[in-house]
Amino acid sequence: MTEPRELVEHFFRHESGRLVAVLTRSLSVRRLELVEDVVQAALMQALETWSRRGVPDDPAGWLYRTARNLAIDALRREQTHGRALPHVADGIGQEAPPEAHFADEIGDEPLRLLFVCCHEAVPPESRVAFALRTLGGFSTAEIARGLLTTEANVQKRVERARDRLRELGVEFEAPQLRARLDAVLSVIYLLFSQGCHATHADVPIRRDLCDEARRLAKMLAENPIGGVPAVHALLALMSFHAARFDARVALDGGIVLFEDQDRSAWNWGDVREGMAWLARSATGEELTRYHVEAGIAWEHCRAPTFADTDWRRISEGYELLGRIAPSPVHALNRAVAEAHLHGPQAGLERLAAVDPEDIPARYPGWHAVIGELHFRLGQYDAAELAWREALRLSSASADQDFLSRRIAECRCLLGPAT
Amino acid sequence: MPKYLFIFRHSTDPQSQPSPEEMQALGGQWYAWMQKFSDSILPGGDGLKPGGRLLRGEIVSDGPYVEAKEFVASFSLIQAENYDAALAIARECPGSNVIEIRELGGYA
Repeated sequence: MTEPRELVEHFFRHESGRLVAVLTRSLSVRRLELVEDVVQAALMQALETWSRRGVPDDPAGWLYRTARNLAIDALRREQTHGRALPHVADGIGQEAPPEAHFADEIGDEPLRLLFVCCHEAVPPESRVAFALRTLGGFSTAEIARGLLTTEANVQKRVERARDRLRELGVEFEAPQLRARLDAVLSVIYLLFSQGCHATHADVPIRRDLCDEARRLAKMLAENPIGGVPAVHALLALMSFHAARFDARVALDGGIVLFEDQDRSAWNWGDVREGMAWLARSATGEELTRYHVEAGIAWEHCRAPTFADTDWRRISEGYELLGRIAPSPVHALNRAVAEAHLHGPQAGLERLAAVDPEDIPARYPGWHAVIGELHFRLGQYDAAELAWREALRLSSASADQDFLSRRIAECRCLLGPAT
Repeated sequence: MPKYLFIFRHSTDPQSQPSPEEMQALGGQWYAWMQKFSDSILPGGDGLKPGGRLLRGEIVSDGPYVEAKEFVASFSLIQAENYDAALAIARECPGSNVIEIRELGGYA
């Protein structure tokens, strides 16, 4: 018996995801709501019992047995009300994995559920919310904070996913693993990049999103289906970015620009991990966007100081990325690299060449970069204009603080006459 | 010393259920609370399973709290000098539950 305080970090959250995955396997996706209810009830029971009597020796097994018994009780009740499918109750009673199997099952079940979350019938914006809810064990409120949306919206997305899967009677058996791998990777990538935009204390969950994305990708890499170069490249990319997290946030919670970051504050363990994944990803024929992005992130980590950054290689990286996965964001990043190579005017020219139709309407980063390039050219009025537009579009409070500071600088430099 | 019954009520609203992460934090806080007041908390407290039976006259129905906003989730027995002392213990109890505090009659 140990104290509840000594449970490993995120134990409840991770176990809830595993339990949902294992029980959904036994009871089918159609019973997902019942599964989520019994898992919640089992955690409540653990909370009551463990705080009174301490944590049992095998807390994961305790939770599993409790959740399974609650599920059997719930199915029996349904049966007496004449609503249950008899074979389902039989199934879980007799074929539920014995405890000895439980440890083995854990490795595969969450992965299966992840592939189910990425079923073609589930709308892409529902996949992330659904994966976070069922697999990540996050609450609706936590997901809403993480994805910068409302709780009602998250609820709607989760329900849509659940409804689609129930309608189709999607089973866990033989999911189209290989065919869905791309969708799974894009969900993990999206989770991670959502988390990356976080720099402020009012969104504490967002670091968790990044950790969750890395956890899922590692789980994927350990599986024969997921042990492929694209997954290794994605892991490399995430490791390099994660290395810079702590250095990105100032003591007051504001953003520290990449240029001003203390490189000794980077997490070099993460960098080394990224290098190992990058080496493993360098096999096979396929060059994915994750490979190119990992390469660019590695260029940044490799430079001993900001001034030593090899902007030519970074610019080439974004050019390649633009060809593999055309996106105005890649064009924007290429313009930044060009500006470092040939001066701010070159960057502005490159941005001016982008078809206005392609400029993302609600993307503050676009205007923030234009503002910065004008500022460097001493065109403070143009800089202010662009930053005001960025401020109008931005929703993260750390970004807003930063932009407000820069706008104030412009006002200062423009003098009282304007 | 007077004895008090603490009746812990939880919300039935699914929106206000704690997330797994919050539950883990609560577990540690509960344990700490019980350690801190171990001299005042008497043996015999327990959690209550969900569901139940209600006997009203001849009619037996399922748990009485199906429609209620709160249900009784657990109880503890506490010994304290007076209501103020009992309240002080209840105030330090983690979570945002409703706690009903009743002095035992000592009739039995």
